[in-house]
Amino acid sequence: MLESFSLSLAETSLSQWILLTYWLWPILEIIHFIGLSLLLGGLIVIDLRMAGHFRALNQVGTHQLLPFVFIGFALNLITGALFFIGDPMRYSINIGFQIKMVLIVIAGLNALLYYWKINPVIHGWDPDANPPPIAKFVAYTSLITWTVVLLCGRLIPYVGTG
Amino acid sequence: MFLRLESSSIAMWVAESLWAYPILLAIHIVGLAIVVGIFSMRDLRLLGMFPGIHPAAFLPLSKMAWIGFIINAISGILLFTSQAVTFVGNVPFLLKIAAIIAGMVLAGIIQSRLRGELAIDSASAAEANNADYAISDSTKYIALVSLLLWMAAIVAGRLIAYI
Repeated sequence: MLESFSLSLAETSLSQWILLTYWLWPILEIIHFIGLSLLLGGLIVIDLRMAGHFRALNQVGTHQLLPFVFIGFALNLITGALFFIGDPMRYSINIGFQIKMVLIVIAGLNALLYYWKINPVIHGWDPDANPPPIAKFVAYTSLITWTVVLLCGRLIPYVGTG
Repeated sequence: MFLRLESSSIAMWVAESLWAYPILLAIHIVGLAIVVGIFSMRDLRLLGMFPGIHPAAFLPLSKMAWIGFIINAISGILLFTSQAVTFVGNVPFLLKIAAIIAGMVLAGIIQSRLRGELAIDSASAAEANNADYAISDSTKYIALVSLLLWMAAIVAGRLIAYI
């Protein structure tokens, strides 16, 4: 099913345009790199503070970085979708890409856990106290998954089919 | 000189081992996200974003950025050795290195300002949440140039593969 979807996607004019416009791919890559820096940069600050490090940072104040995390994610969702549309047969069967997508879903579920369990109560936390285990779990899960997403993404050109 | 570097045993290992080059590239992008990520958040703070965070609170985070920088200096030098002759003649590569050096110099200047004029003093730390920190125009200007330099380093770095 994925194969026939990829095949039909590859025949679209958008796909042809992306693959054949020689200057487009490097520009998309540059935007993708800037996006991942915003995403991980913001999360490093938010998650490390949530795990109890860098206490000079105001805990609630770190959440003002979230819009930049979302901007980074949106940039990479758009550019990433265009990469996929441009060369669907290459990505859909690539093990690096497949693992990366699974990890992004896990990171998304982890973010939902944050909004469900932590966000409603974080304002009441004592900023000097050791954070609850759930906060450490969500923070480190976020940092580890996104780091491995970066590693997998960069390995896509070098690994084989899944 | 670069020819000799390229034929050194470590350069040969990077160039010829099946996994050395891709793994170094993968490590290099994690280091990039740490360095550019933390520095751009710090620069955005100095440009007036995230008023809930004291600017000097970014000071301890610069240690993290330094770890990212060391990761990338090591992985970057190893990647460089494998194609040293090509890289030294590559304009985007030279621009990238220039942007990184300038960015690190500005990081040092910003760090000294966070320790000095923008330092957290214990008297105001208690009401630090909504205090209006006076960030001088020159510091804002440095932060803006720093942000643009790191973006330029990414642009130039990516173009190495194309030009």
